[in-house]
Amino acid sequence: MQPLLHLENISKRYGAVRVLEGIDITVAGNEFLTILGPSGSGKTTILRIIGGFESIDGGRLMFEGRDLAAVPINRRPFNTVFQDYALFHHMTVAENVGYGLKVRGRPRAEIATRVAEVMETVGLAAFGGRYPAQLSGGQRQRVALARAIICEPRLILLDEPLSALDVELRAQMQRFLKSLQRRLGIAFVFITHDQEEAIALSDRIIVVNGGRIEQEGAPEQLYRRPHTPFTAAFLGENNLIAGTLAAVDGPLCAVDTPAGRLAATVDGPAPPTGSAVLVAVRPEHVRLDAAPMPGEGLTADVADVRFLGANVMIELRHAALPGALLKVRRLADGSAAGLVAGQRVGLSWSAGDAALLRAGPAPAAL
Amino acid sequence: MRHKAPLIDALLGLIAGVGLVALYAPLLATAAISFFQVVRVRGALGFAPFSLDPYAALLANGEILAALATSLVVAAVASIAALGLALMFAFYFVSARRGLGLAMQTMVFLPFLLPPIITGLSLLIAFREIDLGRGLVTIIIAHIVFIVPVVYRTVLVRLQLLGSSLTEASLDLGASRVQTLRYVILPQMRPALISGVLLAFAISFDETLITLFVAGSQTTLPIRLWAMMRVGFVPEINALATLILLFTAVITFAIGMLQRAGERA
Ligand SMILES: Nc1ncnc2c1ncn2[C@@H]1O[C@H](COP(=O)(O)OP(=O)(O)O)[C@@H](O)[C@H]1O
Ligand SMILES: [Mg+2]
Repeated sequence: MQPLLHLENISKRYGAVRVLEGIDITVAGNEFLTILGPSGSGKTTILRIIGGFESIDGGRLMFEGRDLAAVPINRRPFNTVFQDYALFHHMTVAENVGYGLKVRGRPRAEIATRVAEVMETVGLAAFGGRYPAQLSGGQRQRVALARAIICEPRLILLDEPLSALDVELRAQMQRFLKSLQRRLGIAFVFITHDQEEAIALSDRIIVVNGGRIEQEGAPEQLYRRPHTPFTAAFLGENNLIAGTLAAVDGPLCAVDTPAGRLAATVDGPAPPTGSAVLVAVRPEHVRLDAAPMPGEGLTADVADVRFLGANVMIELRHAALPGALLKVRRLADGSAAGLVAGQRVGLSWSAGDAALLRAGPAPAAL
Repeated sequence: MRHKAPLIDALLGLIAGVGLVALYAPLLATAAISFFQVVRVRGALGFAPFSLDPYAALLANGEILAALATSLVVAAVASIAALGLALMFAFYFVSARRGLGLAMQTMVFLPFLLPPIITGLSLLIAFREIDLGRGLVTIIIAHIVFIVPVVYRTVLVRLQLLGSSLTEASLDLGASRVQTLRYVILPQMRPALISGVLLAFAISFDETLITLFVAGSQTTLPIRLWAMMRVGFVPEINALATLILLFTAVITFAIGMLQRAGERA
């Protein structure tokens, strides 16, 4: 099936600085796609290229098989929800929302009806006569959304729309956005630097870092099977242990690390033996035994036990892994109660829970 | 931030008070004298009782009224024309390459920064070269030349403050460039446009030196006043000065209010 939108191998420079390189993204007609990456990774630039606000230096932008290069901003069937909302402060909320129809020359009566409908959709039915300055941040956000969806775009672009909201409002808006996208049945391209938000909202996530795509996939797939150290560290938490690939048996690998030989599972073809690799294990996947069993996993000393509400995070030190704390997450159900700093414990995990990663450049987010 | 230093506060208040009195005393005296004329009673100076005679005389003085009309027409036409030009220059500055924009800007500012004598003289020579006789048209052109920079400055500051995000939002919603200008940019700039025009109007209304070079027999109010002062002092002058004072105060106040409104937006 032809994708709605296809960014083909796009690159972008500002002067001598390359900010995007080899960006290849497809967007399906009704998916919630999130571009996730740290600040400065090029997310906004990607969105502005789709919207038509920035030119590209290489590659093509295709919409239903047509090249968009010659299509100006106001002719693209997309609408943007800007990070700062960019509402028109001299217009009422209703005038803001109706703007897209007004400039298309629709009759007044039709505009009034559609504005009322859309305001109802975003839960602002009573606010049409107010000015943006008289609204809260969350309400302005909804005006920005209403203003975009009234144009019936095929795609809505959202640049970190929730980052200015407080935690509670943000969770509420996340649910709202998700249900809105389902109801409208159109594609959302959503930008965030917040991995939890990305996981909670998206059908698919594209992880970007330093202007390149690190990995893409469904949230669960990315979480379970990160391919790069960056993805492993950026989505949730991971223990990363560096070593050398010693042996491969199907997906099962043995890795020699300073802390001994560890087992891991590789997703896809394994790198050649002898290559530098990392073993990534989620804190919640590590088993912890107060009495270490010889010859299995590794032993470490408890450094700290931190209570995090529903969870307890146990940080451990291993003599052969200087500088890095190992992390183990437990439910705060009392099972970690007896642990004290300095205690020696055994750590182990099933090979299926440990991902083998090719060692790349050091992950920026650590 | 208030700290407790009543003595210093009182002293500062006093200094400010004295300063204001020194600045405004001559003006207030003029206004007072327009209502209470100074007369000589048996060798001593004194004030006549309240009277509006100077104002009546002013209304009867055809020359002054004609000059006033000229001044108002010149100020109105020149400031509206200057607004149009200033808008074009400002849009050019924010969209053109930096070097070209700065070159254009220097050219716009120059007539305002040069000594008025030089500007006036150059205009006179230019008009002579193109065979344009001195009159209302030459006065208006001269005024446009030196008030454009003032309007340009006001408009540009607002335009730069506005940034590109509203333009982008408007285009994103399907508007054309012209629609964006009409529905978004100009309304957003309205306080700046009005205060720019008012400022230009006030400056044009006051301008004397450059006008002196380019005016023919039809003259503006400041020049008429100047001419009258040289032949002798008549009471109408106080009345006129008071009216102009009031008028200027109203415009200044309006500009202040508009600029505050602009900051809030
Ligand atoms: N107009 C610009 N001129 C020069 N560099 C820019 C410009 N816009 C963005 N950049 C640079 O491009 C990189 C990517 O920026 P951006 O797309 O805004 O990242 P993100 O949205 O992920 O934070 C950053 O290093 C930023 O400094
Ligand atoms: Mg950004």
